[in-house]
Amino acid sequence: MDTLANVAHGFGVALTWINLLYCFIGVFIGTLVGVLPGIGPISAMSLLLPVTLSGTPESGIIMMAGIYYGSMYGGSTTSILVNIPGEAASVVTCIDGHQMAKQGRAGPALGISAFGSFIAGTFALIALMLVAPRLASIAIAFGPAEYFSLMVLGLVVLTFLTQGSMPKALLMACIGVVLGLIGLDSITAQPRLTFGRMELIDGIGLVPVVMGLFGVAEVLLNTEQAIKRDIINTKITQLLPNKADWQASAGPVARGTLLGFLLGILPGGGAVVASFASYALEKRLSKTPERFGQGAIEGVAGPESANNAAAGGAFIPLMTLGIPPNVVMALLLGAFVIHGLQPGPLLITQNPGLFWGIVASMYIGNVMLLILNLPMIGMWVQLLKLPYNILFPLIILFTILGVYCSSNNVFDVYVMIAFGIIGYFMRKLGYEPAPLVLAFVLGPMLENNLRKSLILSQGDLWTFVQRPISAACLALAMVLLIAPLLPALRKKRELVALDEGA
Amino acid sequence: MNNQTNVKLRLSNSELWGGSIGLALGAFVIWSGLKLKLGTINDPGSGYVLFYTGILICVFATSIIISAITEGGPTLASRWENVRWSKPLLVIACLTAFSFALEPLGFLLSSIPLMLLLLRLIDPVRWTLAIPIAVLVPLGMWWVLKRLLLIQLPSGLFGIG
Repeated sequence: MDTLANVAHGFGVALTWINLLYCFIGVFIGTLVGVLPGIGPISAMSLLLPVTLSGTPESGIIMMAGIYYGSMYGGSTTSILVNIPGEAASVVTCIDGHQMAKQGRAGPALGISAFGSFIAGTFALIALMLVAPRLASIAIAFGPAEYFSLMVLGLVVLTFLTQGSMPKALLMACIGVVLGLIGLDSITAQPRLTFGRMELIDGIGLVPVVMGLFGVAEVLLNTEQAIKRDIINTKITQLLPNKADWQASAGPVARGTLLGFLLGILPGGGAVVASFASYALEKRLSKTPERFGQGAIEGVAGPESANNAAAGGAFIPLMTLGIPPNVVMALLLGAFVIHGLQPGPLLITQNPGLFWGIVASMYIGNVMLLILNLPMIGMWVQLLKLPYNILFPLIILFTILGVYCSSNNVFDVYVMIAFGIIGYFMRKLGYEPAPLVLAFVLGPMLENNLRKSLILSQGDLWTFVQRPISAACLALAMVLLIAPLLPALRKKRELVALDEGA
Repeated sequence: MNNQTNVKLRLSNSELWGGSIGLALGAFVIWSGLKLKLGTINDPGSGYVLFYTGILICVFATSIIISAITEGGPTLASRWENVRWSKPLLVIACLTAFSFALEPLGFLLSSIPLMLLLLRLIDPVRWTLAIPIAVLVPLGMWWVLKRLLLIQLPSGLFGIG
């Protein structure tokens, strides 16, 4: 009964006209960035982070969340029609989705992708509603040792799943921690790595770092090649999948939803891992695996459901523990902090309107997305024809303005340009930026919790292994660190490794 | 892999360069940590985490260097093979010039040339389209930010904007 009352309260918050507007803007922009290759949800969210300052915390976070799950819907459109993933979680949809489109079945591919996403998104919300409050009540008992170990685990999982060599990913994570520590020490108030610059006393901002590494660097990488697009020109008809399509897709949607939700909760996991895992699972379970890659609808239904369920599941660690499981959630944490809110076990009890309002807005956002992605598909197809030689300069101008507006400080624009250039060379040398950004956000929290636990335990390092949750997290992190050294496990890692940054 | 793309013990090995930069960075972080004071394990100081993170950076960078020496790696040149490497370099040059011009010239006088250059350099947009976009978009954004959102963009020495 409590849950129902809370949901009703949440709908009361989400259905105010201003929150409906923000929700619509969020899902619209999410679909837009999902559709346009080259800009992902991370760039769009960092670009719009300053906008959240102007409204209430509910409105800002509702919009940011909308961009995230909206991009999961939009990403499939480009994958199916152009064979270029709109964002990383839709890479796998290209394989069978574009083949279906080539065979004249773009409509059912887009249809099952939207319906699968809707079903998975709704399931993830119900699960979020039921799981989050219970997990939050358990998390109240967490001490600094548990938080420290959980953050270490999150960083290790992300580095384990990042494409390329693990030492490179771990190096990036360590550099992220160092960058996060720039500024005044929160315990002693001593300036660290500020080089005498007043602008660095408060540390480097998240927005210029993320916009540089993901926005500017992405544009620089994209300019290297002339992007050719193979847009399906036939008129898209019959968006509703037929009975046979539904029969073939029911299992993949259900499995993708469950798998995606569970992978979304895991620190370091997320929508990209979920979509790859779901595709692999469906191919393995299929009686005719040779159809995969030739236009099998299961290859679209499973991954698209999985990435949406994961997007919902990823809210759980952020809302209940205050730990962002991936870069997108780290940005959302930034939005909370901008408004003076600290996500964590007390958020649901202290700010029920905020938590339940966000959950309710996600139901509404899912319905909006279904309308935006099915009847209005023609509009998105037209948008795919926007030339990149005009789009890229516009993205650069918007990132400059976005960074400047977030702090009214020219120094942040310099920081963004510097990180854009560094990010480009990093990517060229095979260093992924995702572990750096997550570590940058977690760095100060990690340090704080480590120092607190050492002070509380009077320097006894056993405190991290004497507490069961902390010990379990550290043990799992250790296993993942050792795993790439074993040839069999290294092969498995290479299979699931991914490019989170795209 | 052939000699061109997978070289051992050569200065052109890109992995060696990546690892060396990491090692230098790690050494700097260790030195910064020591300078800030480590404190004790009962009461860690401001440099405690920096120092140990610096050590980790050095460890991972060394492992990258070792694998570059033993297993080889692609050359720096091969990282830019078969791509239009001049395009990102031109964009980087434009952005660097823009960052120098932003404060003295202000937002409008620096962003209009930036847009025009980017529109003409990436994949040239015809002049009749490039000029209106380069002028109208920054002007429109400036108007929205200044008049509607009351955000003051840098106006530079000439006070334009």
